[in-house]
Amino acid sequence: MIVGPADTAASASGWAKQLDEQFGRWVVDPLAAVLFFDLRQLINPGQELSGPPIRFIVVWLFCGAVFFTLRMSFINLRGFAHSIKLTLGFYDNPDEPGEVSHFQALASALSATVGLGNIAGVAIAVGQGGPGAVFWLVVAGLLGMSSKFAECSLGQMYRKVARDGTISGGPMHYLRDGLAEMRLKPLGVVLSILFSFMCIGGSLGGGCAFQVGQSMGAVAQQFPIFAEDRYPWLYGIILAVLVGVVIIGGIRRIAATAEKIVPLMCGVYVLGCLYILLMNWSHLGETMATIWRGAWTPDAAYGGFLGVLLIGVQRAAFSNEAGAGSASIAHAAAKTNEPISEGIVALLEPFIDTVVVCTMTGLVIVSTGVYNDESLQHLITGNQGAPLTSAAFAKAAWWFPWIVTISVFLFAYSTMISWSYYGERCATMLFGARASLPYKFLFLTFVVLGSIITAGKILDFSDLMILSMALPNILGVVLLSGKVRRALDEYWEKYQSNLLVPRREP
Amino acid sequence: MAWAPRQKVIVPIDFSDDSFDALDTALDLVDDAKKVSVINVLAVLEPAEPGVIWATIDEESRARHAEQAMRERLTDAKYKGVEIKIEFGDAGHEVARFAQEQGADLIVLSSHGRTGIKRLLIGSVAERIVRLAHCPVLVLRK
Repeated sequence: MIVGPADTAASASGWAKQLDEQFGRWVVDPLAAVLFFDLRQLINPGQELSGPPIRFIVVWLFCGAVFFTLRMSFINLRGFAHSIKLTLGFYDNPDEPGEVSHFQALASALSATVGLGNIAGVAIAVGQGGPGAVFWLVVAGLLGMSSKFAECSLGQMYRKVARDGTISGGPMHYLRDGLAEMRLKPLGVVLSILFSFMCIGGSLGGGCAFQVGQSMGAVAQQFPIFAEDRYPWLYGIILAVLVGVVIIGGIRRIAATAEKIVPLMCGVYVLGCLYILLMNWSHLGETMATIWRGAWTPDAAYGGFLGVLLIGVQRAAFSNEAGAGSASIAHAAAKTNEPISEGIVALLEPFIDTVVVCTMTGLVIVSTGVYNDESLQHLITGNQGAPLTSAAFAKAAWWFPWIVTISVFLFAYSTMISWSYYGERCATMLFGARASLPYKFLFLTFVVLGSIITAGKILDFSDLMILSMALPNILGVVLLSGKVRRALDEYWEKYQSNLLVPRREP
Repeated sequence: MAWAPRQKVIVPIDFSDDSFDALDTALDLVDDAKKVSVINVLAVLEPAEPGVIWATIDEESRARHAEQAMRERLTDAKYKGVEIKIEFGDAGHEVARFAQEQGADLIVLSSHGRTGIKRLLIGSVAERIVRLAHCPVLVLRK
């Protein structure tokens, strides 16, 4: 279930189609065979199945999140208040090793996770899974907080502080070093390498091509020159220049500005959504009921209960990256002596990303009824997520879709910059410092590709890569969860006995 | 020996034990520690690195940290007078450039001696320095 530029014949010219097909056959299909393996095959082997599949990797993610929630005794709930205090800086100490404050690390990670998944992905999730998907999205978001906690704590525990004060951290490190400590070094090395490859793929797919393709859909609404039958590649080129100027040209100002605006843009977008919901105030109860009903007894058209649940989980995971491990790369840069504290800060990420932003989008889609709108059905079947959200916004005022357009562009841009960083880190980890420039050129190539290849295989690739990172990552984090739990207990003990002194009074 | 460095000897240091051994070798070649300059080259940071985005890390703070770490390693009396230089960029180019600026007679360094795939992909800083340097380069082996 992929989102991207519409699968129209007009946009698939000869060579692009060929590329699309070959890519599908050699890259996407083998991967999908493993990761998207339909578990129903195990129960009814060989049978023709209809309705939404029960994909292995999604089940894996969901089970991981449940496991971490239980193993850490609901840290996602009990750590929430402390998380806010940490993020607001009450425990900040600029002398502690690291690059940025808790808040800044969170903002950096958020600029990577808040992307088109929140705006477009959710719209399609509702389109395909019905209103019930929103409920499961929220549940997955809440459970995913625990996954984030575990992986970001580990990111801090196994980070390397270089002599110049800079930080290197993330699953490539903790999978290798953490498992080596447990006498599982070969496994650790394999998982670390596997993760690095998947992360590079994820950065090119979900962190790049997907963002380009989907944002183009929304931007094209206001600027028809970018529509598929006109000059879609122009959009790709413009974005490639904007990204290239930063990652190769080194013009940091643009990236820094974009990333800092993301929290603000989130706020504006959420306010926009709230306005629409208030507009439909009288229907709000009905909306909630529809969602609740859809969650437990979905319409036949949306497939079984499990299918809807898994659509919600998949969309949430793709959006907030909980279980994928990428955010731990950013969180490792926080200034602190207590790794667990950063894990607790990281709890807020899936919360803000999924429980707040994604839910807002979902509520808007449901309450405005666009998911059911006959005239908009072509958007759903064509996997046009952002235009669907735009259409929902249009119900408030003629200029409202501009909020979507601007948010979408900004989120896409900041997500791309951040993910190019994650990918570059993995590339240099695998191949040395010389891989940096070739990787960046590859990234820019995918920016352009994202605007011309249709919602076919290359975008299937996006979902697959981001989700596949969870395969080595969750395995490693589960094995290391004992360590995390012990550290958590120690930290919590300190916290409860007031041994952690806030430097400022709340 | 017939030829001996007169003015300046440059020693690139990457904080490995081998590189500090090269420093000791260099000190043996000259009569005055002041003739030896140590250089550590730090990589340029990625624009999307959190510390760069939030401007909490800059070249100044990094150079300070690195110099501090260097001084902590070079506390022995024999290192007194050795100049410490921190540069940014590609190690090979910066070392060669620094040596040229200083009018150095010699660069002393150790090589990891990587072969095969690692050498191809990770490259050898020593090889680049040998290629780019304007002066003789002494490559020590383990």
